Amino acid sequence: MTESNRKPAARKAARPRKKAKPAEGRPQVAPPPSVPSLEVDAVERPSDADVAARIRELETKMDEMMVEHARERESQHDLDDGPRRRLSTVPPARPSAPVMPEGMLDTARELLSTDFYLRKWGRLGLRNRSEEVDEFGHDPVYEGKVRPFFDFLYDRYFRVEAHGVDRVPAEGRCLLVANHSGTLPFDGMMLRMAVQKEHPRHRDVRWLAEDLIFHFPFLGSFSNRVGAVRACQENAERLLDSGALVAVFPEGMKGIGKLYKDRYRLQRFGRGGFVKLCLRTRTPIVPVAILGGEETNPMLARVEYLTRAFGIPYLPVTPTFPLLGPVGLLPAPTKWKLFFGEPLDLQGYGAESADDEILVGRLTEEVRAAIQAMLDHAVGERRSVWFG
Amino acid sequence: MPTRSNEAAQLARTDGRNRVVAVTGAAGFLGSNLVGSLEEDDRIARIVAIDPNPVTTAGRKTRTYAVDLTDPTAEARLAEILAAERVDTIAHLAFLASPTHATAWAHELESVGTMHVTVAARHAQVRKLVMWSHTWLYGARASNPNFLTEKHPLRAPAGEPYFADKLEAEEQARKLAQRSPGVVVSILRTAPILGPTVHNAFTRYLARKLVPTMMGFDPLVQFLHEVDAIAAMHLAVLRDTPGTFNVVGDGVLPLSTVIKLAGRVSVPIPHPLAETIAAVGWVAQLVEAPPSFLRYLRFLCVADGDKARRELGFTPAYTSREALLDFVSAQRLRDVKLLSENPA
Repeated sequence: MTESNRKPAARKAARPRKKAKPAEGRPQVAPPPSVPSLEVDAVERPSDADVAARIRELETKMDEMMVEHARERESQHDLDDGPRRRLSTVPPARPSAPVMPEGMLDTARELLSTDFYLRKWGRLGLRNRSEEVDEFGHDPVYEGKVRPFFDFLYDRYFRVEAHGVDRVPAEGRCLLVANHSGTLPFDGMMLRMAVQKEHPRHRDVRWLAEDLIFHFPFLGSFSNRVGAVRACQENAERLLDSGALVAVFPEGMKGIGKLYKDRYRLQRFGRGGFVKLCLRTRTPIVPVAILGGEETNPMLARVEYLTRAFGIPYLPVTPTFPLLGPVGLLPAPTKWKLFFGEPLDLQGYGAESADDEILVGRLTEEVRAAIQAMLDHAVGERRSVWFG
Repeated sequence: MPTRSNEAAQLARTDGRNRVVAVTGAAGFLGSNLVGSLEEDDRIARIVAIDPNPVTTAGRKTRTYAVDLTDPTAEARLAEILAAERVDTIAHLAFLASPTHATAWAHELESVGTMHVTVAARHAQVRKLVMWSHTWLYGARASNPNFLTEKHPLRAPAGEPYFADKLEAEEQARKLAQRSPGVVVSILRTAPILGPTVHNAFTRYLARKLVPTMMGFDPLVQFLHEVDAIAAMHLAVLRDTPGTFNVVGDGVLPLSTVIKLAGRVSVPIPHPLAETIAAVGWVAQLVEAPPSFLRYLRFLCVADGDKARRELGFTPAYTSREALLDFVSAQRLRDVKLLSENPA
């Protein structure tokens, strides 16, 4: 063993330029502190006598180290044969040859990891999107492209104010439960924006949207790319299992479809599916009240006659909609306020309590009442629909 | 004592080197590759390839029988062969990878053929049946969850013969599992298979220069690499895991990204119009699939491969995106006529 180690060292001695390298490249042999400076000297000042002396010095040092090392190994050798196997494989692995390609690969990886290369030479047509979306279809690059529009809606148009965002936990799964409003639901996106902008940890909210929008062309795939997920138990459970922050609107279609005269009066909260889900997955609930959404497209009447034939449940009638055509669907610039309530911790209940219908009903009502109270308070405080 | 000898026999059959595996549809893509990979597996003693067409991958261990499953006498012949060869496991892969105009023949092959196989398997007391199925049988719907598990009902358009036959075939396999509890029945539902050598409805769709899409719809899709598909079949032959498994690659891609990565141009068509065009095109044999397949260009049909990972121990080597890129690299050569092969 010692012999095979010595051979390359002897060969090195004949070539003064590279002499220090073997000691450097061999991980087991800890180089003495003087070696790096020696190398620098040798490269900078190739005075022959000096170099020869230093080579000899270094050689003896290395030999000493090798002998020492071999002794160490022999003592270890008795204990287990792991180090011995390593010893036999190390000498042929000359430090100069295999290191180079690896280093080059690293630089290529580094180049790819910066956005520059992809931006400049990325696959044709893929510059406006990521090559890979997450498993629920959210595309961060695409969202970045449309972000200015939503920023405008958030900052300038609806002038959203968020109160108590820090009640949303900094990490871990959590369910935001909010009231649903507006003929065209912007509330999911605004809730996402609010948490992303105002929360200290800038968390990502995935909101669960009605099936209906996934039937429509453009609307479904667009909302999916910017973060909406179809509302169903399986999706919610999978999201919560991955520790995501999920927003639900338990009123569902009944929330969007309520008339202006019923504004800010919460509808039935489904069958309490969200509470069962939270009990099963032990997820805390944060109630959220959204003020301002109801006045964006105040619905005066619903026309349900013949609309099924077109695949929509009803035709909304607002002061502007059928009258001005599609332009009438533009939301009114109302002032929006988001209120985040106290988190409801369900840790105390076991997973089996999800089957307890009385408990589920009570908790559902508790959440509903919390949101309704926040809404009533906010509506009472509000002086103007447009300026808050 | 009898239990011990039974156990020993079981062990000898599953673990020993005298296992005999029959492969139906052995000349098809999955079949021929499975025969080839089993050839090199020491744990398999003999392979019985069943296909009317010559099996090119057949080697030293393989015996080929030219049995046509659409033949009315197929059942008796199969039972005879299975018993004579003392077959332990059947890999039933005689299914069509793309829809055909010969619907009556396809029905005989897939639905009735599976009946022949299951009945013959009971006759010959075969211990295990591994069957190939498709995640598309879940059906593409706007109301699907993002990840369909094996518990989800199969809601493929039943009016379409291509799906109806496969649904019936799965039903037959499940019946076999119910009627003879000793038989291990594994059904592997694969996602659309992509790769450098495979040919099916989806590769033909992506081979077009202009790829039709549904205007305003951009569903998430997933793929399985052909190597993973073969590996999953091989794994199911080796391991005794009864049940249904989704075999899918990791990750999902929007369809529009798939088309861009394939270097194709998408042609968005409003979906009511597309139904008509597809119906006419299918009758005129200009398009590769009947109009009922258009749903898969509009809605989600993505399956969750978690159960296969846990119980079957199958981990895909390629993600959906890698499978697509591997297919694309071969397709580029085909585009410039540098690569040509007979579709399997």
